[in-house]
Amino acid sequence: MSFTHLHVSTAFSAHYGVSWPEELAQVAAADGASALACTDRDGLYGTIKHLKACMAAGIDPLVGVDLAVFDDDGDHRTQLAGRVVVLARGHNNGAGYRALCRLVSDAHARTSGKAGGAVPVAVTRAELASRTLDPQTLKPVLTVLIGPDSDVGRAMGGRRYLRPRTLFKRWLEAMPAGSLVAEVVSQLTTPGKPLSTAHAVRMLKLAEEHHVPAVLTNAVRYCAEDGAATADVLDSARTLKSLPELAAEPLLQPNGQAWLKSAEQMLQLGKEIIRAAGYGTADLKQLMAQTEALADYCRIDPVSDMGWKQPVVPEASVIGISQDPHLELVQRCEAGIGRRFPGISGPAHKEMRSRLEHELGIIRNLGFSSYFLTVAEVSRMILDMGVRAAARGSGASSLVNYLIDVSQVDPLQHDLIFERFLSRDRATLPDIDIDVESAERHNVYRKIFDRFGAERVTLMSMQNGYRARGAVRDAGMALGMDDDDVGEIAKQLWRFSARKFREALVEKPELREFAGRVEQRGFAENQQLDLLVDLTERLDRLPRHISMHPCGVILGDATLLDRTPVQPSGLGLPMSQFDKHDMDPMGMLKLDVLGVRMQSAMAFAIREVIRIHPSKAEVVAAGAHPAGPDGSGPDYIAENGHIDLNAVPLDDEPTFELIRSTHTLGCFQIESPGQRELIGKMAPREFNDLIIDISLFRPGPMKSDMVRPFLEHRHGFAPEVYPHPDLKPVLQETHGVTVFHEQILKTFDVMTGCGLARADEFRRALGNEVLELKVEEFFRREARIRGYSPEVVDNVWGTLKAFGSFGFCKAHGAAFAVPTYQSAWLKAHHPEAFLAGLWEHDPGMYPKRLLVAEARRLGIPILPLDINRSQAEYRVERVADGADAGKLGIRLSLNGIYGLSGAELKRIVAGQPYDSLADLRARSRLSRPSIKRLAQLGAFDSLHRESGGAANRADLVQHLQKLQAAGGTRKGLDIMEGQLALPLGDVELRNVKPGLPAPTLVDNVRAELDLMAIDVSGHLMDSHRPMLDRLGVTTADKLLGLRNGTEVLVAGVRIATQTPPMRGGRRVVFISIDDGTGCIDSVFFHEAQEQAGLLLFGTRLLLIRGTTRRTGPRGISLSASMAWDLSKVETLPFPENQREGTDVPHPLDGISRSLAITGMGG
Amino acid sequence: MGMFSESVDVDCAASGQPLKLRWAGQHYTVCAEPVRWYERRQWWAEERRAPLGSGPGLVDHEIWRVQVRLDPQDAGEPLTLDLSRHLGSGRWRLVRIHDALQPRTA
Repeated sequence: MSFTHLHVSTAFSAHYGVSWPEELAQVAAADGASALACTDRDGLYGTIKHLKACMAAGIDPLVGVDLAVFDDDGDHRTQLAGRVVVLARGHNNGAGYRALCRLVSDAHARTSGKAGGAVPVAVTRAELASRTLDPQTLKPVLTVLIGPDSDVGRAMGGRRYLRPRTLFKRWLEAMPAGSLVAEVVSQLTTPGKPLSTAHAVRMLKLAEEHHVPAVLTNAVRYCAEDGAATADVLDSARTLKSLPELAAEPLLQPNGQAWLKSAEQMLQLGKEIIRAAGYGTADLKQLMAQTEALADYCRIDPVSDMGWKQPVVPEASVIGISQDPHLELVQRCEAGIGRRFPGISGPAHKEMRSRLEHELGIIRNLGFSSYFLTVAEVSRMILDMGVRAAARGSGASSLVNYLIDVSQVDPLQHDLIFERFLSRDRATLPDIDIDVESAERHNVYRKIFDRFGAERVTLMSMQNGYRARGAVRDAGMALGMDDDDVGEIAKQLWRFSARKFREALVEKPELREFAGRVEQRGFAENQQLDLLVDLTERLDRLPRHISMHPCGVILGDATLLDRTPVQPSGLGLPMSQFDKHDMDPMGMLKLDVLGVRMQSAMAFAIREVIRIHPSKAEVVAAGAHPAGPDGSGPDYIAENGHIDLNAVPLDDEPTFELIRSTHTLGCFQIESPGQRELIGKMAPREFNDLIIDISLFRPGPMKSDMVRPFLEHRHGFAPEVYPHPDLKPVLQETHGVTVFHEQILKTFDVMTGCGLARADEFRRALGNEVLELKVEEFFRREARIRGYSPEVVDNVWGTLKAFGSFGFCKAHGAAFAVPTYQSAWLKAHHPEAFLAGLWEHDPGMYPKRLLVAEARRLGIPILPLDINRSQAEYRVERVADGADAGKLGIRLSLNGIYGLSGAELKRIVAGQPYDSLADLRARSRLSRPSIKRLAQLGAFDSLHRESGGAANRADLVQHLQKLQAAGGTRKGLDIMEGQLALPLGDVELRNVKPGLPAPTLVDNVRAELDLMAIDVSGHLMDSHRPMLDRLGVTTADKLLGLRNGTEVLVAGVRIATQTPPMRGGRRVVFISIDDGTGCIDSVFFHEAQEQAGLLLFGTRLLLIRGTTRRTGPRGISLSASMAWDLSKVETLPFPENQREGTDVPHPLDGISRSLAITGMGG
Repeated sequence: MGMFSESVDVDCAASGQPLKLRWAGQHYTVCAEPVRWYERRQWWAEERRAPLGSGPGLVDHEIWRVQVRLDPQDAGEPLTLDLSRHLGSGRWRLVRIHDALQPRTA
């Protein structure tokens, strides 16, 4: 006997279901089931995973949804009348699945897509009825299950005997004949309560009375009994109430019986219900048979019903093609040759030609020509918008992509292999990723919707699962713990999976205090902490909600919305309920249009260059660019001063000099402490070095110690070693070390003759327990046949096995290296514009305030906020007077000042310039607090000076404060109104009463940090200087002069915290601090972490003791041994004679905006 | 109706249905078809641990409502009792004694 579960929520029913589709399918199959349904709440979130899981388990999938229904008697926009399960019928060429998709989209159509919207996800009964019938055949293709959670089921317990009957009749009247069944559920709760056998009996009798089939389900939420406690915690997270509160209401599940019961157990349940109903064996048989009959109706054929793995791309006509798409692609490639390879001839031409034919042949065979044309169309559309775009990823391996302008990297020059991207043996749609300016990303999305039509485009979603911090917060809430207590604990959880919480308690020094509390064996107070750990582990990875994927756009033909349900995203554009894992199974073409802040920063910098230097000659002079072919400057600079960044040659010496100096703050990919260390050691000389550098700085190579041998060989400290002379051409560029996927492919090919396409299949099998064995067998056999010695074969296989699964694709590295080089080029030649761009778009890993120090180091003046000179963005400005006269400086932006609204900002800029405060008030209509804040930041200092007043900034702030306090009526004390037209200067400012002491540097810096999160007037560490001197602290600028291994004390404000993967898997913590003279990168190994404990992740101002480590000719870092919290003066290690530590006022006192200042949340 | 909890020994049929029980030194026999259901526990207050893989019995326990007569067979009104069985350990406890005259059924 077997039983089919028709009502099952998976973990993808966020905050409801507990078990993953794989577990459910495996358990069902093991129990002998031949099919299993997935009916997630509110959507088809787990459907494709369910399909995959069922196919793997060898059972048939059933697909459906558990949906709320609007109350026909109540307000149709907000009031609900229970939930029903809707199952799609199968084997009808997708008619059932189509109807299901559209129904789910209907349920979301009225919602806002934002959290906490007023309109719930639900359908009206009319929508349900109309979607049930297939529009072509007018036959029902959906089945609606009226169960215990429906309005009918919920009325069972009421006193009104007739109520369930009336409600059931309404369903019968509203729904097409044959589309309704009654869902009988007993979870064996207390007799007479919901989900009790008594209620199941009533539903069964109701069905009998109206001649509607009844089916048995268990309304499953978890795979096994153990999941019940997790379901309790999810109920708490969903309702935002603690378990004790929910239990009192009572809103928790009545017991823990909602698991995937076995066929035998379901039969027993059926027997119990039938006996309680007073029915006989025939009725039992009928109930079970009807359940299986419905299951049979709803068996889905993944291929014919859902289009499993059948790629669908936009119709040719949509991309403006009237001829055969392949012919079109060939013609476009031909046209690209002239542009990309002007004047190519001889062997190079022959090589290029044969590569092109090879690629086109594969593309034609796979039928992917339209796919390439679609991507080219999107790419062209973006460039036509004037937005910077660059292809990334393995798409850069394709010559076709290069010729049709999708990619900017010449695959022939960098020896990139097409098979890594696409091959005959790889029939899935390849990924092409396009990086665009982050600030333009949403515009690009909208343009794609316009261009292809809303019926062919939707955004991809992503599932957000519980990680340690969220899990501990929700577990704490479930237990009714104090928010602050839980928050304290959550703060210390730093990048490890919630499932390893208990393990982490033992290992991680920053959790030691908490672990101590758990271990104290006083039941009452610590029971909660113990449970907290267990519940946190239970929540680990469970989906919480879906959101817009940061870059995925799905493109299809006119049937796209028949194949994926959609819901509004926060952006207003529709979003698919499917995530990236569902794309390939559903044959969906996904384009990654990724917003990259660095692209925006670079575009901004180029606009600033042209604004300040509006001609080619000026740009050439300002940037010290080469004279070029005709002496007037290089071709990549246009007559109007516009720089074509993509055309800049990749061999600029000043750029590489800058990179080697390790002053790469702000440069794409190479600004992190670890990267600066690597760059310092490696000293890149050419573009290919950058590709290698980026590829080496990955978890795999770092963990497996590839970096050290590479550097030793590169610098000639140790001879290069090749496993066999045949492999020298393959491994030469990386000095014998295997770094790239491309090298793995070639190694396979050289030693076995398997061809590159198969080699890529082999590469992808590495790391897979089963497949890897077969690959190994093949490799050893074939290599032996070709005469390689057993030692060589052993040696090479070891390398392949170790690096194959995580090596880096060179095409990725090459695509990444382009913006790395371009950003370094801008920094080398136009640092002011580049820094302004960085400030404006904040692309880096460090807090913005660190750029102030970088500007100081580069001697670039930072110009204060000024009501008449500052704009809504950072601007490069020629300094008019003072010590820096004639230099280019960067004027601070009015944007991002705390409390200043977008509308105020717009009005300020529109009304500039102002001749007085009254003028400003009248025309910008600034709020009084905003005016005061601007005054605190010195934005009126120059106006004030011009007015000739004798007062200082503190006096002005006090004056404005008084006005603000007095300002009850709308105009209040705005007595200066009348002087607007008089060219007398600012009487108000002139007359501000002097008397207060001028604000100290600490005051000004505090205001800047508080309102702008940057310290401009002085460095926030300056006020600590006397104390640091007494401690004997060394400053960052002095470190490079010290010899290796010197013990020092350093101090500063935290700017970055990283825990990169390291060799041997032991955690290493990098903490970077900034002391006003530069950055200090310190590394905390295991011992030091033990010493530092809580300070590792919780402290803003740090004093660190450590020994210097030289990392290269220009690089030095610190190996830390101990750390202190600088704000706890009494704990600091003062020398004996300097004991008395007086606390000084510090700019950070009272400021809680940690994130923007230190890069640390919480 | 009294609410308390006291350990009892129960003899069961193969199906898990209670047949006889020993409570406070007396022997009782179940004299009518019992009713069984599952009730939730306030596990967050009663348990110290709830790790993954705890298995059954954390969230609910099995309740049997039985009517019993004192052995040897007396002729008086039967007693109605609610017994709980912990799903993990299989231990039985007496949780309620009902007014004998009003046994509730499903």
